[in-house]
Amino acid sequence: MSIIVADEPRVGPVPPEPAPLKTNYLNARSGILSWLLTVDHKRIGILYLVSLTAFFVVGGLAAGLVRINLLSPTGAIMTEDQYNRMFTAHGVVMLFLFLIPSIPAVFGNFFVPMMIGAKDLAFPKLNLASWYVYMIGAGFMVWSVLAGGIDTGWTLYPPYSSRYSQSNVFPGAFGAFITGFSSIMTGLNIMVTVHKMRCPGMTWGRLPLFIWAMYATSFIQLLGTPVVAITLTLLCVERLAGIGIFDPAIGGDPVLYQHLFWFYSHPAVYIMIVPGMGVISETITCFSRKNIFGYKAVAWSSVGIAVVGFLVWAHHMFVAGISYYSAILFSFLTMLVAVPSAIKVFNWTATLYRGSITFQAPMLFTLAFLVLFTVGGVTGLFLATLGTDIHLHDTYFVVAHFHFVMVGGMVLAYLAALHYWWPKMTGRMYSDFWSRASATIIFVGFFFTFVPQFVLGYHGMPRRYPNYPAEFQVYNVLSTAGASILGFGYLLPGFYLTLSLFFGDKATANPWSATGLEWQTPSPPSTFNFDRTPVVVCGPYEYAIGVDQLGRGLPEPPGPGSADDPASHHGPTGPAGPMHKETHVVG
Amino acid sequence: MNASLPGIPVSASEVGDLFEPLFWYIVAVTAGGTLLVGALLTVFCVQYRRQNTTGSTPRILGSHRLELFWTITPLMIFLTFYAWGVYIYDRAVQVPNDIPEIFVIGKQWMWKAQYPNGQRVIIGGNPANMSEEDQKHIGALVLPLGKPVKVTFISEDVIHDFGVPAFRQKIDVIPGRYVSTWYHPTKLGEFHVFCDQYCGTWHSLMVGKIHVVPPAEFEQFLEGKGGAHGSENPVDGSPAFKGWQHFQRLQCQKCHVPNAGAGTREHPQAPTLEGLFGRTVPLKGGTSVVADDQYLRESVVNPRAKVVEGWEPIMPGNYRDQVTEEELRDLVAYIKWLKPGQMIPPNDKAPSLNGAPRETKPESGSAGGGK
Repeated sequence: MSIIVADEPRVGPVPPEPAPLKTNYLNARSGILSWLLTVDHKRIGILYLVSLTAFFVVGGLAAGLVRINLLSPTGAIMTEDQYNRMFTAHGVVMLFLFLIPSIPAVFGNFFVPMMIGAKDLAFPKLNLASWYVYMIGAGFMVWSVLAGGIDTGWTLYPPYSSRYSQSNVFPGAFGAFITGFSSIMTGLNIMVTVHKMRCPGMTWGRLPLFIWAMYATSFIQLLGTPVVAITLTLLCVERLAGIGIFDPAIGGDPVLYQHLFWFYSHPAVYIMIVPGMGVISETITCFSRKNIFGYKAVAWSSVGIAVVGFLVWAHHMFVAGISYYSAILFSFLTMLVAVPSAIKVFNWTATLYRGSITFQAPMLFTLAFLVLFTVGGVTGLFLATLGTDIHLHDTYFVVAHFHFVMVGGMVLAYLAALHYWWPKMTGRMYSDFWSRASATIIFVGFFFTFVPQFVLGYHGMPRRYPNYPAEFQVYNVLSTAGASILGFGYLLPGFYLTLSLFFGDKATANPWSATGLEWQTPSPPSTFNFDRTPVVVCGPYEYAIGVDQLGRGLPEPPGPGSADDPASHHGPTGPAGPMHKETHVVG
Repeated sequence: MNASLPGIPVSASEVGDLFEPLFWYIVAVTAGGTLLVGALLTVFCVQYRRQNTTGSTPRILGSHRLELFWTITPLMIFLTFYAWGVYIYDRAVQVPNDIPEIFVIGKQWMWKAQYPNGQRVIIGGNPANMSEEDQKHIGALVLPLGKPVKVTFISEDVIHDFGVPAFRQKIDVIPGRYVSTWYHPTKLGEFHVFCDQYCGTWHSLMVGKIHVVPPAEFEQFLEGKGGAHGSENPVDGSPAFKGWQHFQRLQCQKCHVPNAGAGTREHPQAPTLEGLFGRTVPLKGGTSVVADDQYLRESVVNPRAKVVEGWEPIMPGNYRDQVTEEELRDLVAYIKWLKPGQMIPPNDKAPSLNGAPRETKPESGSAGGGK
């Protein structure tokens, strides 16, 4: 096995810690209007963060009620109708209002310009508009919930949703239609920004992998979202005007809806997970002090997922009446799309090899992501395989698989990103102990919640069932017990992150000793991010040499805190310090 | 918590028996892969933790060989899943020729089945959504052990899904389109049927049973003798069943509605035939007659001869031209068989009336007896 060792970048001295700014983006202007009319990408990121957190709480409460109801085989607290509305609220809120915007809208907005050395996104006003569009769409969904809710499930399959449901399908579907435009705006903005606003020296090969992931995500958002928009429009037309599009009783085709819906909604799960993969590439390198293993493989696998992800939608429909040959074709294509994810996992794992690993909260969330995402990924293979899918389809196996990827993967990546960039965003450090405790509790609670659901699914328990045969109760109780641990784990960051805003230690400019451009500004950064346009001289993850993308040495990384931590004895890492760097390795 | 789950759920069909090895093969391989990743993560995290290392790290950028290795190896493994899965899928969905076909209708929120000989049964559902007639026929989809059957589905309203965990199979039941699968039961017993596609308020009550019985018992069920399974319908081969078919063909039920005269329908045009046989019937003119075979036959071929008290003689007298004597015998047998609550109202949605595969095709233009 040969290991590629590239030329070392030239290393400058470690920069002095910059004095905290008197005016940063947070206190440059004040008043509610300064937030509502801001065009600063960082403030818009914070607006998104606050709104998304609120919707995450709402969706989480709905999930909690669903799980409590499942304690009893005949429904513990709700009627069937209430239960149907509750799981639909959970799905719609979590998917359309949390997962799809999540990392692109919060961290993409905040950090894409900073990581490529730009002052802002390409279209700052469009960026603000995207938040308003998102909030208007969310308003429609809140309307539908306040008016009694929707009982169709988040997939809104007609003809039930278009002709039979007595619930508020229109405002919900129309809300999803509107938030889609917000997603398109964000995607367009990020794509143009990455193309046109990279600072000198920031070549495509030097882009942080988070940027690659965001770029791939934007591609999906731009190509896929219009399809779901037209699909939801057609649904509303059939529901409101009775024009036959999907209901065969009036001349439509119900399977057509599923094709259109999944043509967007399968790529949409990549809209959700690919940004998370970008975050993991940032954190795992930083906390293991290593270059990413296989930069090109990780970068291009994101693009590969974005492209191949558009060719697999019908694997949601293997038992839905598609033709024999299309089932066989789509199963094959689905096997292909599993490969880039596997490549990423192996590269991340290999990155840890011979690293110098510390376990602060972002790293714990990252490791939890790796385990849970791997389980989520491989269980997807059961569903991609035709012979097993005809049993497991639409059971709790699918529910568990989806949550492993979307919660175990995406939400943990979101939390990793939040904990990683929190010092930069707020200028404060949070509790080390409680953040690690939270990561551990969430990981454990997650396992207890969703592993029993795999068993339930294998035994055939269908999804969306408030009533179920009594023999399934044990596993449902286990799952609910796990969910309460998980819920507690989610509450913790709400407390210690909020407390950190008021009582946390002031964060240094580069508390994790990371290489990215976003860390080469004070914490929190000024409104225009950089005093002068940065000039990038090397790739994004030169931790081994100890040099940031500006070619300067890195400050001392945070150790595990013990007295025998070599890093705390020997000064800064990198050739500027006393340590010998083993840069030439043949393994 | 009155019952616990077995480790491996019972597999009761040929496809179920094919499913299990593939399922456990994928479990073994993916668990191996996951454990490998988990073990590497653990080893690296322990071995290379900061306390254990100098804080300086080697600059490793990657390895083309490793990338190729972990691109091609997973792909090859995934393709074994794929190929095996296609084989089972092919077995599961390619329906063999020349096997009996059962017709199943899904509607909010019940499953109804009709067998090739006309036997009907309600597989299950939410009793609150059924007519009283249907509630009496809640049973199970009875299948013969060891004999393959084709099942054709259609939905009356929204999309449902007929899932049978013990058979490891499910199929979406779509409005406006026939879809078919087949089952080859290999174990006796009762198994769950779930609606697996969300279909509205009582989705979770759209459940039923499959009952796999020995072939002899299956034959009894088809003949309507196995009452335990919820159906006592007249069946193929019996004169009453044939008579029922003629009854439908001649559209007798248009006027002879169930419960006529009992105050349940506003404009009955003819007396009900349920429970008629053996009763003493009051006639116009003050006489009466005991409804025996002869009376029943006469009332079909010459309806004006004896008119029931309280009814107008509006029944056409030309039925004699439309039925042979043999068919007449069957009609009488059907009417004799009819007990209260057994007749199907004209608006019934039972499978046989709309599009079920049936033994005798209704002749076109045979809706005799116009008024």
